[in-house]
Amino acid sequence: VIAAVVLAAAILRPVLRRLLDGPAVSTWATVFVAIAVQAMPFLVLGVTVSGAIAAFLPDGAISRLLPERPAFAVPIAAAAGVALPGCECGSVPIAGRLVARGAPPAAALAFMLSAPAVNPVVVVATAVAFPGNPRFVVARVLASLLAATVVGLVWARTAWKVPPPRERGSKGAGSRRLETFLATAQHDFVHAGGFLVIGAATAATLQTVVPRHLIDGVAAGPFAVLALAILAVALAICSEADAFVAASLQQFSSTSRLVFLVVGPMVDVKLIALQVGTFGRAFAIRFAPLTFVVAVSSGLLVGGWLL
Amino acid sequence: VSNSASATITILVGAVLGRVALTGTFRRYVKGSMGPWLVIAAALLVVLGVVALVAALKKGRDDEHTDGDDPDHDHDHGHDHGPVPVAWLLLAPIVVLLLVAPPALGSFGVDRVGQVTVRRGAGTFDPLPPGPARPMTLLEFDQRAADGGASFAGGTVELTGFVVGPDSRGGFRIARYQIACCAADARAAVVRVVGATGAVPGRDRWVRVAGTFHAAADDVPEIIVTSVTEVPAPLDPYEG
Repeated sequence: VIAAVVLAAAILRPVLRRLLDGPAVSTWATVFVAIAVQAMPFLVLGVTVSGAIAAFLPDGAISRLLPERPAFAVPIAAAAGVALPGCECGSVPIAGRLVARGAPPAAALAFMLSAPAVNPVVVVATAVAFPGNPRFVVARVLASLLAATVVGLVWARTAWKVPPPRERGSKGAGSRRLETFLATAQHDFVHAGGFLVIGAATAATLQTVVPRHLIDGVAAGPFAVLALAILAVALAICSEADAFVAASLQQFSSTSRLVFLVVGPMVDVKLIALQVGTFGRAFAIRFAPLTFVVAVSSGLLVGGWLL
Repeated sequence: VSNSASATITILVGAVLGRVALTGTFRRYVKGSMGPWLVIAAALLVVLGVVALVAALKKGRDDEHTDGDDPDHDHDHGHDHGPVPVAWLLLAPIVVLLLVAPPALGSFGVDRVGQVTVRRGAGTFDPLPPGPARPMTLLEFDQRAADGGASFAGGTVELTGFVVGPDSRGGFRIARYQIACCAADARAAVVRVVGATGAVPGRDRWVRVAGTFHAAADDVPEIIVTSVTEVPAPLDPYEG
């Protein structure tokens, strides 16, 4: 089959070349490849951690570490996001693996939402993008933690269960563990990677087709917050870079830019594709809108208080 | 997707990623400082893929010994479920990279992606020292312009960017993108080139221009040039 793909590619080459002469297609291809390439190191980090969770985490370790009541477990899991330096592509497979190993779904989801926004790398990037404005950095961390916790608690209360991803392979002792680690990492990589490609293609299409001035036009209007929230979903910018984009959106108010930074790492087209892949479509249809509404509200609340 | 195919996909992704990282092509898509991380990720992927491929082949042989003639036996969806068909999509960026390696962002996106908006008084600059033409990023040029332009002190500067096209106020525009992480977050810094421009170079051609700052009536900073030289595209097409 691989040979057939290579053969088809060789035939398609002149067609692709000609297509790329069109500036729109070429811009699309550049953004598409850029998002995919940029995400690879983070995705590899993510699947390495998820492989380690599958292979080396002793049974029952998660339930020992986390309090039983969701009211305590969820905020703790959200705060634990500080420890995972990376962007959002890596945290989805990790959350999937945590659920598969018996973590309460609400806690794993809270971790998945908070980790890309509150880890040290992103905090430093935000501080660099907003020099002399530490309140903005604090506001981003607080609003992200708040949104992750609220989503987790809502998820714990409602009957919307996360179907746990099927666990692959069995854990053995000794050398079997290394095998499990490698096999899980490889499996999660192709799985998440395929969905990442869907997300990258969607984001590239939106970036190429929708003219930015359409969104800039509403900057002064009452829909500014909503416009930036939707922009965050459509652009699918890595959480380590979104602060620089937010800093450049100076025609918008501080609060609407904060909303952009809270929504981006939690809901975007690339993440929705990854979540469909990891948790299933029924999950993503409920989870993404819930997260979007909570993230926007949390940004507005913290922004109104601090900024 | 069988396990061996999924392993092969992983190896392919790692190999192409490594190639892009080592040849420097990656600078068209992501920030230069990500290079080492791409190499590490590529190496890990190749290792993961090779290990998985060896395991899949070994298992295939074992299965042949035990239940080789069982026609109902499905290697792909049996006891060890393989990845979903979506894994094939990973080949899409790989094929695009291998066959055409898309160029760095060019003039098409300048009016579409956000342009750098420089806050007035965002930074203060020391006046340019007198002396020969000073190379400067388009971003710094725009920032000094937003700062009032006094810091140019009439000195000559040298800018390198790609041609966006003729400007309605005369001359032409050049631009260069800043990226924070990858091409998806690019923003363009734009400068209008007027003066001794000669014939306007073609779109997306790279030029080096030397001249002095001029305060323009609109918000696009202007440079009055004495020379325009076409240059090859720089190794790093973006300003960090």
